[in-house]
Amino acid sequence: MTTWAMVADLRRCVGCQTCTAACKQTNDTPVGVQWRRVLDMEVGEYPDVRRAFVPVGCMHCDDPPCMHVCPSTATRKRADGIVTIDYDLCIGCAYCAVACPYQARYKSSEDAKRPDVATKCTFCVERIDAGLAKGLTAGVDPEATPACVNSCIAQALHFGDVADTTSNVSALLAENQHFRMHEELGTGPRFYYLWDKAP
Amino acid sequence: MKKVATYCYQCVAGPDLLTVKVADGVATEVEPNFSAADVHPGGGKVCVKAYGLVQKTYHPDRVLRPMKRTNPKKGHGEDPRFVPISWDEALDTVAAKLADVRARGLVDESGYPRVAASFGGGGTPQSYMGSFPAFLSAWGPVDMGFGSGQGVKCYHSEHLYGELWHRGFTVSPDTPLTNYLISCGANVEASGGVAGVWRHANARERGMKRVQVEPHLSVTGACSAEWVPIKPKTDAAFLYALLHVMLHEAPREKLDLEFLYRHTSSPYLVGANGFYLREPATGQPIVAAALEAKETHVSLETGADGELLAEGSLEGETAFAKLVAHMKPYSPEWAERICDVPAARVRRIANEYLDAACVGQTIEIEGKTLPYRPVAVSLGKTVTNGWGGYECCWARTLLAALVGALETPGGILGTTVRLNSPLSQRQRSVRSGPDGLMGHPFNPTDKAHWSAQPNIRNAYRSMVPLVGDNAWSQALGPTHFSWMFLDQTPPGLPRVTLPDVWFLYRTNPAISFWDTQAIEERMARFPFVVAFAFTRDETNHFADLLLPDATDLESLQLIRIGGSKFIEQFWDREGFALRQPAIAPRGEARDFTDIATALAQRTGLLEPYNAAINRGTLGVRLGDFALDTARAHPAEEIWDAACKAASFELSEGKEANGLAWWKEHGLATRPFPRTAWYLFPTLAVKGLRFEMPYQERLLRVGTELGRRLHEHGMTWWDKQLAEYQALPAYKDFPGEWEQALVAMGGALQDYPFWLLTSRSMQYAWGGNVGMQFIKEVADNVAGHSGVILNAGRAKELRIEEGDWLEIATPKRSVRARAVLRQGIRPDTLLLLGQFGHWETPVAKDFGMPSMNSLVPMSLELTDATGSAADIARVSLRKAA
Repeated sequence: MTTWAMVADLRRCVGCQTCTAACKQTNDTPVGVQWRRVLDMEVGEYPDVRRAFVPVGCMHCDDPPCMHVCPSTATRKRADGIVTIDYDLCIGCAYCAVACPYQARYKSSEDAKRPDVATKCTFCVERIDAGLAKGLTAGVDPEATPACVNSCIAQALHFGDVADTTSNVSALLAENQHFRMHEELGTGPRFYYLWDKAP
Repeated sequence: MKKVATYCYQCVAGPDLLTVKVADGVATEVEPNFSAADVHPGGGKVCVKAYGLVQKTYHPDRVLRPMKRTNPKKGHGEDPRFVPISWDEALDTVAAKLADVRARGLVDESGYPRVAASFGGGGTPQSYMGSFPAFLSAWGPVDMGFGSGQGVKCYHSEHLYGELWHRGFTVSPDTPLTNYLISCGANVEASGGVAGVWRHANARERGMKRVQVEPHLSVTGACSAEWVPIKPKTDAAFLYALLHVMLHEAPREKLDLEFLYRHTSSPYLVGANGFYLREPATGQPIVAAALEAKETHVSLETGADGELLAEGSLEGETAFAKLVAHMKPYSPEWAERICDVPAARVRRIANEYLDAACVGQTIEIEGKTLPYRPVAVSLGKTVTNGWGGYECCWARTLLAALVGALETPGGILGTTVRLNSPLSQRQRSVRSGPDGLMGHPFNPTDKAHWSAQPNIRNAYRSMVPLVGDNAWSQALGPTHFSWMFLDQTPPGLPRVTLPDVWFLYRTNPAISFWDTQAIEERMARFPFVVAFAFTRDETNHFADLLLPDATDLESLQLIRIGGSKFIEQFWDREGFALRQPAIAPRGEARDFTDIATALAQRTGLLEPYNAAINRGTLGVRLGDFALDTARAHPAEEIWDAACKAASFELSEGKEANGLAWWKEHGLATRPFPRTAWYLFPTLAVKGLRFEMPYQERLLRVGTELGRRLHEHGMTWWDKQLAEYQALPAYKDFPGEWEQALVAMGGALQDYPFWLLTSRSMQYAWGGNVGMQFIKEVADNVAGHSGVILNAGRAKELRIEEGDWLEIATPKRSVRARAVLRQGIRPDTLLLLGQFGHWETPVAKDFGMPSMNSLVPMSLELTDATGSAADIARVSLRKAA
């Protein structure tokens, strides 16, 4: 069964925010709303300090806390793993924004293109569906690939089907050491971070 | 919905090839041009800046009609009271001014052009100004030396010395092959564009070790294996210590002795007076039998101005032996005291570099066997300009030469020529010069040819022999002279005057130059300023006319792409790309080519203007597709001819595709051989040597220049003349800025911080500073909202995140919010980018200052190349 996932290679990301910009433009998000963004983090103290760039957004969890708290069933999980929001059902209560441990959800304002609803990264689901319908491969063919991945100038972001052992992302996960964010929470995030070659 | 192919060249790290989605005549979205994935060295991707182009097009504060100033008073606080006028009135006004200039003479009483023009850095505005260069060419003398950053604040020493030594106007590691890179302040992840980011990510994953040496942990430092937090402006000491280890501690066989002996000037014998010993019959330098030797030969030693210094049986020492002795004092322990980098760490890095150099190994590229030397040193801004720039560039080039990593696979490559010709063909720019070395177009310093009459106000031809005398030289001279000498021209130069007409395009010196307040005061005196304007800004605030050109997504131009240029822009393809209107121009904005044609018509210059286009001013000679010079041609017709000529050139005469074809396809390329990246084989074939380590030519030129200046009573350049050393000694470079502080009336203990700047990739080159969209995404990167200071030091000073701070020199101060980070030295402050806007829409509300207003513009801080550096000693306190 197809399971879409995002893979971010932390060795490659330079924090340029090109993905942030591409996402904003493709998805036409309002000012201040960034479904994809890259954190600029520091660890340690001078002079023993490291700075790292970490792309974040909706993790499309296996067991999404946002879905469980949604009183209107607007948030759902597709069979292919993508967590969706039905804007017609969403009542904009923002419970999901509070429940999300990844701070990935935004409550839109009244005058937004999607007014008074919760919004977040969709993995560019329309693009994937349209691309697949044309027989394209998500994560490989640009027309079937999320905008952030298409835009990445460092080849840090990858997208694909982790259930397919021959896919691009499966190969990356097999060849490299990786982690997922807040894995201890049991949410099963579908966003993997590579940090070194596999031993 | 349609997708329109075009390019973005908003900074020198371009061009990026992209498509724009257009729905119902409205541009909605930028995407990479996916069809260029195999053409472009960054996979055809597009940097973050290009995503701001949609918002740029529809910016609510765009200038959409020609405007004229109605307030004759000019000043920072004066409202220009711009009012809309028709294009006819605007063009007639410019033409009348130009006619008046032509009637009075193209140069003024000082011999300077009455017309001046300033464009933004790196030549990038040329990719947007259509055929305007043809108009300037038809016009005659134009002063293009009023700096807005270029010259004084670019990689200036690298540009000038790099081009002299290895046609390296810009220098890059051979990133696809380099395995060990020492990066002194080079911030390639922010300044190298898509190609740089893409390649370095590949290199990191491949295992390249990059050691980032700089006072703060930049984005490039973040992506490096190791960060060495060096004291500001002491990089030369660090590099000298690396050389010391290689020359005095490592076994000699770790060096590429063959390369040094056969391919550099290392075995040339140097006489007692510091000049090469020469064969009496031929005048050629004598090559010793060994790299390190003292030999006696019947010979001549000729100094400056052909002066015979010695003849007969003369003893000489090889340049290499002199180098070894010269570097003896510069041990890692010596450097530790200057750089604040532990000696053991310097030593380890030197040995890692040596171990990674693979001396003796070869690689096969396109069927040719070449040396394989995968080590490099890259230098960033402030390291490569101002005092110390010469020493750093010399040391870097020498570090490459010692292991044969100069212009060989894996080593350092020059990627652009600008002072030599042809500009687009680096390999062909290699010409035999004197003494078995590459020729370089030095401005003459001999008595018969040196001129005290500069052709433009910054006097580059008289003062900076290295910069040559071509179209680029004007902008690479001491461009602050044009501003600084307006009030007081030093003895020996004709009085510096105001230009009668000043054209401005994609440049904002009131923000981007140094001592910006002083620049503003002078700018306010310019009698007639024509600014091609996107929005109001701090420089066109002083303009008399604002002319709206059709912007990036609205206009037409064909440019060359690929080959080898700028830092990481060396490609496996070369060709042309088209920028085409994705949408109709907004308001009354006009295509720049049509504006240039209209100006040529109104000034009676149509014929020479068309002739200039035919000659190749648009980047391609029109040849069989030449324009009729007698009539005006619309932009589409002009670029159709250029497209056909480009197609003809690319296909070697087989095709002549016109504009319609290029609009559909966007670009066309052909292979560019990878072996053309490396200059070493070309020099070897021509029997030429790299001029390393000894700089006899510079010593000679500098001595001659000094004599000429003194003969004309010009002693104010004496400090700069001291830079012309054959083997440069280390000097107290930070001390230059400390002395500048004292000269301003400050005491060092009261101004304990070094203020630096660093590239913001999101805003690089500044053309998109007024985009809310860019501001929003840039703010995710630390430092875009205030001054970065060390968190530990802040705690001592009881400064908290977000506090308003005052950063001051004895003369000026700015305010910024505190951004506390661990990745910066406790003695250093960092202001990203160049902000401090007070007129540019959106940007004027950022609350972000710039260090430019704090850096004094002075002769004392000007090096021999005419450059300075972005650094200042400042105080810091909580603002009231």
